[in-house]
Amino acid sequence: MYRTKIILQHNLPIILFFLLWEVVANSSLVNPMLLPAFSKVIMTLGGLFYSGELLTHTLISLERALGGFVAALVIGIPLGFLMGGWFRTTQTVLAPLFDISSQVNPFILFHIIILFLGIGETAKITIIAWVCIWPIVFNTAAGVRNVDEILLKEARSFDLQRWSIFYKIILPSAARSIFTGIRISAGYSFFLLIAVEVMGADSGLGWFILYSQENYNVEAIFAGAVVIALLGVTMDAGIKYIEKKIIIWQ
Amino acid sequence: MAENTIERIEEKKDKIIAKNIRRVYQIKATENNAGHEFEAIKELNLVVKQGELLAIVGPSGCGKSTFLDMLAGLEKPTSGEIFMDDKKITGPALDRGIVLQGYALFPWRTVRKNVEFGLEIKKIPEKERYAISERYIDLVGLSKFADRYPYELSGGMKQRVAIARALAYDPDVLLMDEPFAAVDAQTRESLQEELLRIWEKTKKTIVFVTHGIDEAVFLADRVAVMTANPGTVKEIVTIDLPRPRDGIRSSAEFGWVRHKIWQLLQNDTESAVKEGIGNTDVAGSIAPTASL
Amino acid sequence: MERINKIKVKILPYIGIFCFLNLWEILPRLGVVDAQFLPPFSTVCLAIQTLWQDGILYTNTIISLWRVLIGLLLAIFIAVPLGFFLEVFSPEISKRLDGLFNLLSHVNPFSLAPLFILLFGIGEKEKLAIISLSAVWPILFHTITGIRSVNPILIKTGRSMNISTGVLIKDILFPGALPIIITGIRLGVQMSMFMLIAAEMMGAGAGLGWLVHNSAMVYQIPRLYAGGVFIILLGMSLNKIILWFQTYSWFWQERTGVAEQTHIKRRHKQVSSVAVFCFMFIFSGVLFFGGNEVHKINTQVRTLPMNHDMHQHSAGMEKGAETTEPQKAYVPNFKADEDKHK
Repeated sequence: MYRTKIILQHNLPIILFFLLWEVVANSSLVNPMLLPAFSKVIMTLGGLFYSGELLTHTLISLERALGGFVAALVIGIPLGFLMGGWFRTTQTVLAPLFDISSQVNPFILFHIIILFLGIGETAKITIIAWVCIWPIVFNTAAGVRNVDEILLKEARSFDLQRWSIFYKIILPSAARSIFTGIRISAGYSFFLLIAVEVMGADSGLGWFILYSQENYNVEAIFAGAVVIALLGVTMDAGIKYIEKKIIIWQ
Repeated sequence: MAENTIERIEEKKDKIIAKNIRRVYQIKATENNAGHEFEAIKELNLVVKQGELLAIVGPSGCGKSTFLDMLAGLEKPTSGEIFMDDKKITGPALDRGIVLQGYALFPWRTVRKNVEFGLEIKKIPEKERYAISERYIDLVGLSKFADRYPYELSGGMKQRVAIARALAYDPDVLLMDEPFAAVDAQTRESLQEELLRIWEKTKKTIVFVTHGIDEAVFLADRVAVMTANPGTVKEIVTIDLPRPRDGIRSSAEFGWVRHKIWQLLQNDTESAVKEGIGNTDVAGSIAPTASL
Repeated sequence: MERINKIKVKILPYIGIFCFLNLWEILPRLGVVDAQFLPPFSTVCLAIQTLWQDGILYTNTIISLWRVLIGLLLAIFIAVPLGFFLEVFSPEISKRLDGLFNLLSHVNPFSLAPLFILLFGIGEKEKLAIISLSAVWPILFHTITGIRSVNPILIKTGRSMNISTGVLIKDILFPGALPIIITGIRLGVQMSMFMLIAAEMMGAGAGLGWLVHNSAMVYQIPRLYAGGVFIILLGMSLNKIILWFQTYSWFWQERTGVAEQTHIKRRHKQVSSVAVFCFMFIFSGVLFFGGNEVHKINTQVRTLPMNHDMHQHSAGMEKGAETTEPQKAYVPNFKADEDKHK
């Protein structure tokens, strides 16, 4: 009973928000074209999922996002370790390059990538990977850089091998930073995914929203937006959960 | 000499009168416990005399910091009243200054600007502010550092600035909440001596909360000993050690008074065994005649 | 030996970029990379020069810059006061809203953008709305976080002197929260640049985003790269400027415990008035001239008939004046264009 009370209290603003949405939408204050009622949106959502339509697009979108995201993880984390300050020369050479690269606007890059790869799945996954890589690299590097000096001194006094130092000291210390980078990346992946799909695709959630727009199906647009937001929130929560499970020492 | 000091204090007028202070906190219900009340302070009565340096010592959690907050007006008692100069204290004001533990300097302001903060609130014009702050910065011996920033100062220096800031707007009473706790031992001793010097010069009324019995005995005219939670004043010990107090720390009288206070504090905790040892060991051998 | 090391240290940071530029020049020329898709660096530089001489680069850059700045200013003037209002006057409500804000921050602007465009078009005001709304979130979050991060002892000290709420905000909370707020502004700039390019690609007659997209459409590849380079330069400059500000706001931090910011240098003194004056001068210059250009573009386009070269139809510049035909052209449809170019 007490637990329910706490959960209710915690989520009160969210519940109020949806109630408010419902009330305002149903009143004559707002053009129903602009803001459909929350209930209608949910019904449309249910219908679309039931027919399998939305599910297909969701899965396609997820595939793309995850593809880019995982690629970014695989490349980004090792790269981040590289940039963490242990390999001075490499870091000094690469740092300015990475600094600039991370600021390249993905939309511009997208145009360039399309020139080479056409408008297929590869192009989309590549650009998503590009955007996702940088938060991971920078946060991992920061995590490695900020390992407590005292711990490192202790490790050296134990005369640990380089690999041991890495595995036992650096990795755990940097873990939190790394996860921050991962979470930011996950957010970006979704963000860019929709952008890319809106701009040049014939499937996926972004395309679905565009399609709904052309058919003036405002409820569907909102339904799509809800799905996207939920996916984002879930991914974020999921990563936080994994982080909690892995980082048990803090 | 001792009698003079005692007379002097009792003759002085009451600056602050705290009557029947009680402070109760309502603890919200959690998963495991029902909501309940936490009594931080129970029935505290205290009188602070004009111009004296009164120390308050007590075990952790006895409510001494809470009480100081009440004197500052930052907290309100659940029941009871505090009067200063016969006026009831209802909230914070510029007639009381506070120096806190930890460094409460505004890091984005220079030393001078920090000291001028209270003066800015009083809307004192710029030239006057400069003159006043210059005076107090000099008082705490930091004239050379007037235009430095807090991050450039050592811990002891920061606390000195904090004192200057609290004094600059000329409050009637200076409240100090374990101000030297965060500083290393040597700096602490020099700060204590500084404080006495400043006190002699400015003749302010000071209420000094501390954990350290040594500190309290060294500094104060009187020491109020508080009980453990829920806190109340157990006894007020008059320190009749002569001033100036340089070098007093190693004297026998110092040790005796210190021990007395220590005993008062110990009686509150569980160990009856410790009490037994304490009594026979020191008290009898040092000053059999004193029986405050 | 030491001299060599010193030279090494100075040169090293530039080696990476140097190599990169060289590769950019050589690989297309050698044919390793298709020169049609990646023109050599020198060709791109030439394109930049031509564009500059034609004045096109200047116009588009200043229009984009104007949009970003206005959008950013709007976002700051909405988010920062809102953050202060929430956190100072009702911290409990602010805490409760954390969950809601977290949820809302995941609402992808791109998912609602089509709706937005559908109903409001993509005129100047709408572009600015999109740009500033996307920057509002990070700035709001960081304002709230910044206020919460102010050392409570400082607040207690202030309260003991019976300060008014105004003084509390002006003299304690604002300076204390400023470093974190500036970080939020930096993120806001990133978001703004992001959405700016997207918005310009979707519906504009000008701006760097339009320039790049248009170049892609008319298959003038060097021009595309030229525009791209300038967008990068613009973004980097803005970032650098804000970082510069941030060094001033960080100067009072204690040496320990400022982990991520160790690479940010410390400026001891307060900002010099000369610097501030210069900055304001350039700032107002951009606002004035940029606004001028934007106005020109908007009025110009409105009078032109639908032009094949324009590719973005002007009809949507005015609120609500759409038919279904131009709408399709708003969102760059790469697939259709790709077929065109094949």
